[in-house]
Amino acid sequence: MNCLDYRRQLLAGTGENDAMRVHRLQCAGCAAEWAEHAAFEEALGEAMRVPVPQGFAERMAAAQVAHRRKFLAAAATALVAAGAGGYAWLARQDPLAMACIDFVMKEEAKSIMMGAMPRARAVTVLADTLPLERIEGVGQVRHVGPCPFYGQTAYHVVLAVPQGKVTLLVMPDMQPSSRRHAAKEGMHAAVMAMGRGSVGIVGSDAELVASVAGALRG
Amino acid sequence: MGFEDLVRTHAADLFRYAYWLARDRAQAEDVVQEALLRGWRAFPRLRERAAAKAWLFSIVRNEYLRALGARPPAAESLDGVEIPDERQDLFGLELRDALLALPVAYAEPLALQVLGGFSCAEIADMIGASEGATMTRLSRARQALKRLVTPRERKAGQP
Repeated sequence: MNCLDYRRQLLAGTGENDAMRVHRLQCAGCAAEWAEHAAFEEALGEAMRVPVPQGFAERMAAAQVAHRRKFLAAAATALVAAGAGGYAWLARQDPLAMACIDFVMKEEAKSIMMGAMPRARAVTVLADTLPLERIEGVGQVRHVGPCPFYGQTAYHVVLAVPQGKVTLLVMPDMQPSSRRHAAKEGMHAAVMAMGRGSVGIVGSDAELVASVAGALRG
Repeated sequence: MGFEDLVRTHAADLFRYAYWLARDRAQAEDVVQEALLRGWRAFPRLRERAAAKAWLFSIVRNEYLRALGARPPAAESLDGVEIPDERQDLFGLELRDALLALPVAYAEPLALQVLGGFSCAEIADMIGASEGATMTRLSRARQALKRLVTPRERKAGQP
């Protein structure tokens, strides 16, 4: 360990290991550096610990409880409906719609990190299925990008509407014969024919999905 | 530890992390709330409960990127980063201003290290960078902060 290594590691904030401590005890310059660094780290910690809104943790925990109650109530309703309607509820669990939900739960963040496409390109690729202007008429488009989905190239759109956020998967090469639905772990999805292809809509609320589907149909 | 206990334990630091990403208190609150709802849905599938804290921070990061609809912040140059002179009064405030002036690509790993207590390897994994690149960002972030706050001390020492 030399002075350069010592100061480099100190600056990276990795903490002082045994080799560093041995060096510091033998080097007055690095001992002074360490003292200055310790004071700086304390000030940095204080600066980064910005005030948290009053009751924030409790509010967040309460929101989880409320969401769980809502989810359990919805699940109970679905079970009653399944009991009364036989296969009707199970038939709603369409594999393509389910794949849309899985995409949002597992792939969406990665897809966003792959980057958005330029607007002009988005206008072109969506034109025959679901024109970008029509999507922008429904809400604020936060992201449009290509993504591999269900053995084809789909276009992933993150859309903010007043009731919340929804994800659209625009599939130019797939046209379902009927509207398809699925629900899983509090997420709801619908897939419907649109233009020459189809679009999958995923949101945290069945009403929200239905409302966006209606708005996109125009 | 159940999910609600996790929320109570980490909510404050998750909010602070979201704040240093979004630089906006209202957006930070929205991001954490949405992230925790997603986290609650996915919690039963979390196999390594010991890694729950890193998992929560990652969900907040993903939710922030989703809300932003953007690629992760690039590690742009720190040259030209300045803070207004008139706000250089108290050291703590000055340091906070300097942090606000720091690009997110540098402030984020710093927040994960200082607030979350994560190692360089863990941070690298969370932000999708190599460990070496993460250490470089952390070092440059500290260097930039020191450069931004020292002029005040020099000024104070002047007659």
